[in-house]
Amino acid sequence: MSVQRILAIFEKDIKDFPKNMALLMLPVSNALLALIYSLTFDGELPIKLLYVIIGATLSMVTSGIMMSMIAEENEKNTMRGLIQSPASLLDIIIGKSLVTGIITVISLMISLMIVGIEPFLNFRAIIGLILLFLFFLLLGIGIGLFSKSLAATSGYLMPVMFLFGFTPMIATFQFAEDSMIVRVTNTFPIMQAIELYQKSFWLPLCIIAIWIIGAALFTYVCFRKVMTDD
Amino acid sequence: MACFTIDEQVINGESLPLFSLTVNDSQVTSVYSDADVQAKLVKILRSNTSIPVLDLQEGLYMRLSVEDNIAFFKKWFECKMPLPQILVEFELHTCAKKALDKCSESEIRRVYFAKYYISGYKKMAFLEPIHGVDVITVNTFINMLQKIKHLKIPVLILVSGMEHAVLLGDSVYKLQQNGLQEVEVDEMATLQPEMESSREPVVANLFKISARVGDKIILFDPTEIDYIESQDGKTMIIINEESFAMEYTLAEVDKKLEVFGFYRCHRSYIVNLQKVREIITWSKNTYSLRISNKVQSTIPLSRSKIQDIQEKLILK
Repeated sequence: MSVQRILAIFEKDIKDFPKNMALLMLPVSNALLALIYSLTFDGELPIKLLYVIIGATLSMVTSGIMMSMIAEENEKNTMRGLIQSPASLLDIIIGKSLVTGIITVISLMISLMIVGIEPFLNFRAIIGLILLFLFFLLLGIGIGLFSKSLAATSGYLMPVMFLFGFTPMIATFQFAEDSMIVRVTNTFPIMQAIELYQKSFWLPLCIIAIWIIGAALFTYVCFRKVMTDD
Repeated sequence: MACFTIDEQVINGESLPLFSLTVNDSQVTSVYSDADVQAKLVKILRSNTSIPVLDLQEGLYMRLSVEDNIAFFKKWFECKMPLPQILVEFELHTCAKKALDKCSESEIRRVYFAKYYISGYKKMAFLEPIHGVDVITVNTFINMLQKIKHLKIPVLILVSGMEHAVLLGDSVYKLQQNGLQEVEVDEMATLQPEMESSREPVVANLFKISARVGDKIILFDPTEIDYIESQDGKTMIIINEESFAMEYTLAEVDKKLEVFGFYRCHRSYIVNLQKVREIITWSKNTYSLRISNKVQSTIPLSRSKIQDIQEKLILK
């Protein structure tokens, strides 16, 4: 691992980001979504809806940008010649994660400013957000590594968005309170973050941690696969 | 001395003729073969050796500018050379701010060259490096080969055209199904004595003037030439703004070109009388000749020659 290489990738991708319309549209459309929600609801938004906006931001911006950036390097064959060891692939991933992190923070701030940031200015909410960010980031890296083209990533992004980003919406589908779907989706990271925010602390924290470990394992498998393929 | 060898072990039963070729760092080796054999050679290099085959196929960051691309590669490969120097040496300073997807193919090729140069490989194999690019780019590549030679990096160049093989390689080989043959290269060193000895008889029917550019000899029609000038003891042919050094002294050239209507108008100038547009008379009896070329150059005319030239041009 080399700090200089991480910085090189970071600088390159920061410069590239404003020039890449496909990526630029993700945070923009996300801010629009927040704007629409804040306009349609009068007064304070329910906490579940706030978490829908957070889920949308994290899935679209964090996972979306991360997987697109890695998949584009894959597709355009720009990584060839740069990667001579697993360490240099790790450098690329860390550099890109930094870029994604910064864009996520900015995008999340804008979205939350629009709908009202006050409920999130406490320790529990911030811990929840950081853990969710890690989960979505790892998911994005993993998908980015195994998808061969940019077009494929937008396909993969859809299920990620609906399953993990818009989980609180599923609760509004009027399923029975104890039905299988509701019980399963209640263990999803966003739902657990709501739990963490509203009720208990340790149990949801552990469940989210398990999700992160799962995502990390998935990413590791993809990473190994890419390295052995070359 | 750094070198690498391609031999029976490397070829290892592939459908290539068996040969052994050692590429060392003192000579750029070029191998010229048809596309079929070339593809097989590339395949064995890729699978059986660690020699990087630089084939210009990997992507660059097309949305970013030339400068940003080079800056990234420079940081990534931890190259110590300053960025402006890289840009200038690869003739990229004029398009530094241009996004790569707006650049011409030749400019992009020079970005590839710069990338390969700063990537710090210890050995290199280029595949068709100068196919379909302009003269500046070819020159840039030749300069780069010189620098690589200084860095003691062995270089192999695979091309499918004989002229590229001879232009780029110090030792040239031809690879065919029946084996590898070394091609004799007509080096300047061997050519020169020959010219020396055959100079006298050639004079009578000489109709081309030769000049040297790097390793190449360029032949000019006498009628193309605007004038010939002696600069710091070197004889230069001037055609528009361009000048080409030639082998002979001014006196020798004068003798040869007289029959083509050239005239020694000054101690260090010979002019093509066909191209004289104007005789300018300055004060104090000094004269100049204006040439009818793009840049309208003026060259001095000796006072003692004014009579003579006027006679020649039938002005009197």
